Amino acid sequence: MNFLLEGFIQAFHLLIMGDAETYSAVLVTLRISTYSIICALTAGIPIGFCLGFFNFRWKQPVRIIVDTLMSLPTVFIGLLVYSMFTYRGPMGHSGLLFTIPGIAVGQTILALPIVIGLSATSIESLDQKLRIMIISMGANRRQLFFSMLWEARHGLLASAIAAYGRVLTEVGISMMVGGNIKWHTRTITTAIALETNKGQFDMGIALGLVLLIIAFCVNLSVSFLRRRY
Amino acid sequence: MSYPVYDIRSLKHTYNNRTVLDIAHLSIQKSSIIGLVGPNGSGKSTLLRILGLIENPTEGTIRFNGYQVEPFSSKARFLVTLLPQEPFLMKRSIYNNVSYGLKLRGNVNDIPSRVKESLFTVGLSYEKYAQRPWYALSGGEMQRVALASRLILKPQVLLLDEPTANVDAHSELLIKETSLSTRKTSGTTLVIASHDMQWLYEICDKVLHLFQGKIYESGQETFIYGPWQQMGDRKWGKELSDGQILYVTEPPRKDAIAVIKALPITESIVDVRKKAADLHGTISRLSLEKNSGRVFMTVLVGDLRLTMKLPFQNNYSDVFPGKKISIRYRLDLLNWI
Amino acid sequence: MKRLLLTIILVICIIPTVGIAQKKQLMMATTTSTDNTGLLDYLIPKFKETTGIDLRWTATGTGKAIKMGENCDVDVLMVHAPASEKKFVNNGFGTDRREIMYNDFVIIGPANDPSGIKGKSIKEALQFIKAKKGVFVSRGDNSGTHKKEISLWKSSYLPVPEKEKWYIQTGQGMLATINVATERNGYSMSDRGTYIKYEANLKGNPPLKILVEGDAVLLNQYSVIAINKKHCANARYDLTRQFIEWITGAEAQKMIKDFKLLGKQLFTPNAR
Repeated sequence: MNFLLEGFIQAFHLLIMGDAETYSAVLVTLRISTYSIICALTAGIPIGFCLGFFNFRWKQPVRIIVDTLMSLPTVFIGLLVYSMFTYRGPMGHSGLLFTIPGIAVGQTILALPIVIGLSATSIESLDQKLRIMIISMGANRRQLFFSMLWEARHGLLASAIAAYGRVLTEVGISMMVGGNIKWHTRTITTAIALETNKGQFDMGIALGLVLLIIAFCVNLSVSFLRRRY
Repeated sequence: MSYPVYDIRSLKHTYNNRTVLDIAHLSIQKSSIIGLVGPNGSGKSTLLRILGLIENPTEGTIRFNGYQVEPFSSKARFLVTLLPQEPFLMKRSIYNNVSYGLKLRGNVNDIPSRVKESLFTVGLSYEKYAQRPWYALSGGEMQRVALASRLILKPQVLLLDEPTANVDAHSELLIKETSLSTRKTSGTTLVIASHDMQWLYEICDKVLHLFQGKIYESGQETFIYGPWQQMGDRKWGKELSDGQILYVTEPPRKDAIAVIKALPITESIVDVRKKAADLHGTISRLSLEKNSGRVFMTVLVGDLRLTMKLPFQNNYSDVFPGKKISIRYRLDLLNWI
Repeated sequence: MKRLLLTIILVICIIPTVGIAQKKQLMMATTTSTDNTGLLDYLIPKFKETTGIDLRWTATGTGKAIKMGENCDVDVLMVHAPASEKKFVNNGFGTDRREIMYNDFVIIGPANDPSGIKGKSIKEALQFIKAKKGVFVSRGDNSGTHKKEISLWKSSYLPVPEKEKWYIQTGQGMLATINVATERNGYSMSDRGTYIKYEANLKGNPPLKILVEGDAVLLNQYSVIAINKKHCANARYDLTRQFIEWITGAEAQKMIKDFKLLGKQLFTPNAR
């Protein structure tokens, strides 16, 4: 248990002393997660909105599939994406293997079902009276769409936070698609895996705490948004 | 040629295999005030939603100012607005709620003073209410804000669904006053659904009775529910709470509803037509019908409320609330539905 | 506040594009045990300095590294599994196989040596451990090290103690496996490089000591192999040749010899 305390001390040491490897991993982590969350939200929120808003014959089965995809294991996604980007694979010539955009592709696949599923739920839980009110004020279809989106903003934000948390902390995709290359595709989570594998548990704990601090900062700034709007 | 604001033909609306509305023809003139009464489930709210172009009827055509319209039609969406029964606001400040419709129309000149004026009309102070969030109001205040957000749009048609049903007395008064004044100042057409028949008869040009999806005009009819019992040989009726028997012809079904038109009788007329029935009751209310100048009377007979028009008289001193009176209805004019 | 956030996000997304300008890039697959020693972090920057080539490497198990070579995802391999390497070259996947350095494997165990194997030959040591049912911790992950250990049991005419209670398979890397052996006060087989690192981590006084060493069969040979351009059209063969030339050259070989942990030399250069 000693490495727990050691880890705490080391975490602050790494951050305050500006340890280059740690900061490189932090930057890599932030870049990948930012790319993937932006893609996932841009595509996922409109799809989730439509899934929640409209009634169509395949609604129930689609919903079940989306919910199931929320449980995709990250190593599984990592394997799939690797087999796409490997030279012999269908997208071999993209040059995306062992790169940050490549990992971001995998993480987008991870985040998308979460965003779609939770967005759909938050649209569905909007009061029926809202639709009546908006139309009675003279909105056209486009205005109705955006007004309902805005009214559902709290639920949509929650789905973004959930997806971001998942993406920030995954290892499987980063490892398989990124290759854990120092300075280039080593994220905090893959670094933790590496240190733990080397038996250096205190370093693993330290990096884990660094990750928590990042997550805390992100959520702190999001809570400002939540309160202002 | 001036078109009626609404010209509706062959309107049928079904929901879950149930026919909710069945109206062959309905026409509403510009700047008129139309009342809508009927028991719960009669289709009032549905009709208002269809008039408000929020729902598309299963069958039928709606012409608005001569143009055929449906939900989102550009010819109508900025001109019609509906105030639903339950107070409801969007998740934003009062100011943003009231100005929402204006922003939709791109009508953004001088919004603050218009919002202030609107809130003033419904009795709310701009300084106190404008920046409040949507959850910081009572039900009555909410409904007033909802009304303000519609009045600010100066709509051509204002549809009100039980506007005073879920609010406090003070809000009720304000809402009633404000709705009427829009008609005075802007010539707005009003269609109001309400249980407050008295109020409707006071202000409306026409009151439509909606019953099981069909419209019955005039309002002199009273709908009476069963259960019906056979009271001896070829006589059917229902016992009222005060022991009187309301006689009817043979009902076509056990759950049939009787539609009777009652008239008051005075002592000077002795009418012994066999095909009539008399009831004794007490006058509970009197009101003046707007256009015709006729006096409307509500008589309490047991647990029944019968509404009828009085013939023109010079002197109404012999009718007053609390007076015991006899009324008569003709069995051969009795309808069943 | 909103502006600050937006700026931070933009900065994060844009900064990286700066590094992409590098055209001379090489991708290498190597093993985790090689990477864990820190040799590459010490050696490769010098290569970049000398030639301007940015060599990047990913570390996985031996099997996966070789597979990546076959899949054309990398340009060069640095592994230590001679049998698999020769097969790789024979199948036409790799060329220019050059030995670069070796270290050896050692049998480590608790200082009090309950099974009494200290100083014995590898054959005898394993036989003693089996007889006395001494706790033996294996990697059990099909890595090069694990395959070496299996071959040691076989060459000692002993069955691989798969199902024995005293034989523990961790399925993890070398350092993790040593840590398990430490916890269980048992024996294990490790490469000397990782053992020295383990020793360094524990500030020179580890619970497990080297008990058996020096046997010829305990040799661990490292080689580099270029991926065959005929098999993989995208292989950057010219740059790989420069790398192989460099690492088998005098400067790199001396650097390998000088690489020390705790004052001890980890690898012996043997390029010809």
